[in-house]
Amino acid sequence: MELCINKPEAAGEDVVYALPYNLSRENEMINGSFCVTREKILIYLDGNIIREYALDDFEEFECKQQAGSSMAQGRDKKGNIIFLCAFSQEYFLRYAELLKILDYYLRTGEFLTESDADEPFCPKCGHPLNGRKTCLFCTKKSSTILRLIKMLAPYKKEYAAAIICTIIAQLINIMIPYADRYIIDNYVTPKNEDWHSFALIVTVVISFILINALLDFINMKCSFKAALGLGKDIRQQVFEKSQALSMSASSKRTAGEMISRVSGDAAKVEEFFTANGKDFVVQVFSMVILCIIIFFIDVRLAVMTVLPLPIVYLIAKKLISRMEVAYTQQWKGSVKSSELLHDSLSGIRVVKSYGKEQYEIDRYKKATDEWRVNSTRAETGWYRTYPIAQFLISLGSYFVLYFGGNMVLGMEMTIGELVQFSTYVSMLYAPVEWLIRIPRTLADTTVSAGKVFEVLDEEAEVADSADAGEIDIKGDISFKNVYFGYKVYNPVLKDITFDIKQGEMIGVVGHSGAGKSTLINLVMRLYDCTQGKITIDGVNIKDITQKCLRSQIGVVLQETFLFDGNILDNISYAKPDATFEEIVKAAKIANAHDFITKLPDGYNTRVGNKGYQLSGGERQRIAIARAILHDPKIIILDEATSALDTQTEKQIQEALGRLIKGRTTIAIAHRLSTLSSADRLLVLDKGRLAEFGTHNELMKQKGVYYKLVMAQRQTTKMKAAVTAAE
Amino acid sequence: MEQEVYEVDKLNILDCDKLKFSQEESGYLTLEYEGITYHKVNPTRLIPFHSKNEYISVNYENEEKEFREVGVIRSLEDFKDEKQKKLLSDYLEYKYHMPEITKVYSIRDNMQGAIFVKADTTCGSKTICITDWYQNFRLRDGCYLYINDADGNKYYCPDVYKLGKKDIKILENYI
Repeated sequence: MELCINKPEAAGEDVVYALPYNLSRENEMINGSFCVTREKILIYLDGNIIREYALDDFEEFECKQQAGSSMAQGRDKKGNIIFLCAFSQEYFLRYAELLKILDYYLRTGEFLTESDADEPFCPKCGHPLNGRKTCLFCTKKSSTILRLIKMLAPYKKEYAAAIICTIIAQLINIMIPYADRYIIDNYVTPKNEDWHSFALIVTVVISFILINALLDFINMKCSFKAALGLGKDIRQQVFEKSQALSMSASSKRTAGEMISRVSGDAAKVEEFFTANGKDFVVQVFSMVILCIIIFFIDVRLAVMTVLPLPIVYLIAKKLISRMEVAYTQQWKGSVKSSELLHDSLSGIRVVKSYGKEQYEIDRYKKATDEWRVNSTRAETGWYRTYPIAQFLISLGSYFVLYFGGNMVLGMEMTIGELVQFSTYVSMLYAPVEWLIRIPRTLADTTVSAGKVFEVLDEEAEVADSADAGEIDIKGDISFKNVYFGYKVYNPVLKDITFDIKQGEMIGVVGHSGAGKSTLINLVMRLYDCTQGKITIDGVNIKDITQKCLRSQIGVVLQETFLFDGNILDNISYAKPDATFEEIVKAAKIANAHDFITKLPDGYNTRVGNKGYQLSGGERQRIAIARAILHDPKIIILDEATSALDTQTEKQIQEALGRLIKGRTTIAIAHRLSTLSSADRLLVLDKGRLAEFGTHNELMKQKGVYYKLVMAQRQTTKMKAAVTAAE
Repeated sequence: MEQEVYEVDKLNILDCDKLKFSQEESGYLTLEYEGITYHKVNPTRLIPFHSKNEYISVNYENEEKEFREVGVIRSLEDFKDEKQKKLLSDYLEYKYHMPEITKVYSIRDNMQGAIFVKADTTCGSKTICITDWYQNFRLRDGCYLYINDADGNKYYCPDVYKLGKKDIKILENYI
């Protein structure tokens, strides 16, 4: 990343980094420069130094993002926060990178003279790349359609067959008016008795029609095969991508939106290729051939025929851009409706428990109304312009009739020739009309294809490295100076270093927002740490394939997710090839077998959508059985018992006790009593590792953990007092 | 040792006549209120889209880095001291730096989820790149245009229907 982009003229040679800043604290736009030498920070305003600081006076630098602006700050050795400069957000990434380099200098004494981070802006147009390899501004619209055409490569044989069949059919169609002319001029005459030749020509015409029907059948069969194959490929690719994307990328889009892209958008692309895919080649081919023929028959009439076409072309061009926007609006409406539908149905319990059914109905009605309005606008926009273009086209045929008729009367042309010419003109207008109609479908398809490619182009932030391998995990976990932030420069975890031995049970405690869940997300590699290293058995987790890593980690979360299906399917999800006996054994260890047995359908009981037909404790026990069957080397328990009553919690604790035996376990619990069996406790405070030790050690330290325990005891006492009073 | 008492469940509406803000070196403000000095005070708009000058939370982080709220200013109009009002208003404008769109020249849609809006803003002319535009280019309450660009900059237009006819024509396909 370029970090020396605004060096003032007055600045000396020793300035290594120079970034612009443009905001005063009074929100005035200013022209400043933030310069860094190996020893100093120099703040320039309008080319003059206004402040300077020694680098070594600082302990830490931070790039703070506010609601609409950002600022660079430093903490000096006395603990004072010093404001360095403020800027609008386009400079944020560069400042964050520079301050990271300065921070590195403060920690290690090594002054890096350049950044190895990727350039965040397009070198050509300066627009943000936003994590993409190609610039959105510099990419042409046509690239979307070209990409779609490239995706047809596996079906090129089918497509070629469809195109050839259509071209032959079109050529035969061109022959038919010639036969008509021949019949009219030679046989539709008074006292004609050459029935033999007439029958022969009629037979030829009928044969043409039959051959055309056969070609049409082959054409449609091949077109469908190719288009449906393309649709399947797109759906599969989008779904695969949705599974491969990192958590941060996945959370950008709602489930409803992703569903709409996997099914709706892919279907639209598929439909386009079925109906119009090959037509472009064929229609353009027909248009060229027909133009040659009509010019060959009569140049004057041909010129009159094509006269309105340039105007029609201009209308079509204008239509394309209008229709694209209109269909994007329509798409927006449909996605909003499906998002609402998905949201409301997923949260049906909350909706019902708050009696908000009517509110949800009204919201959905509003969204579908909006969708209807957008669709109406798109369609009326189309039908307002299309008839005008159609009328302009047909003007040419009236010219032909008038002037052609005159030519027949003047004996310059036969009736047969005029009929042949008129037929060719109407045949020529068919592809022209198709070309006018195509913006509508093309726009609709481009919008959908664009949405599909948007997902496909998303960079997987957590990706397997080329040399990532598979290991048999034993269970030693190490964090070394780990930093992580969901926004890279706003760390949630800071400088975390600890070692967990194989088979240890570690309890992670801390206030809400301290970074507990983030820590376990890093162990599972749902995100990659921004700095530092996480190792398992001494191997950096980035060098272990994600599949290998996650196949050896078992997770029991607070909110258990059960897939729609029966209990058997849900337990065996972790190990599809497990025998029934293995499944029952896992259920027994999880204390789940008893309640399953009491159900009328036993292990074949359907759990319903998300398992809502079962109680929270029952769902949790199925999740534990699933984890047991998975036989993981590392167990992660995230508030696994917090949502349960005391009796159920006891049963679950028993089950968990069996699950974690001999396995490295990391458990998060707000209720500290549930971590009584932990070997050691890891206490997080404001994203930093505050304490790490046994319960007794930490109680003696009287630090953060001690305060947490005391606060909970106080609450328990209060609860007991209230209960006693009642 | 004096123990800090922090009432979480109380909405403390602040008396603007007693508030005394001053700028501090950290980039935040210092507040003196009812004999207590609060450092690194970070005023926050509670309803930034509905009102820029009403319901301003005055908060800070204590030594334990926990969120503490001194109280809420009901309206900047309650300040009698114009200097104080300007100081606070300037700070909020700086924190929520959000150029206003004054003219729209064109919108280019690349059909891949991003649009490029060529516009005049109160901070100069520019081409604003908006990714995921159906999320980040939105009309709120029927006329307030809110834009969040790819860099994270925010822009707004308080009433798009007060822009020129040409501008509205360009905008109306996207809002």
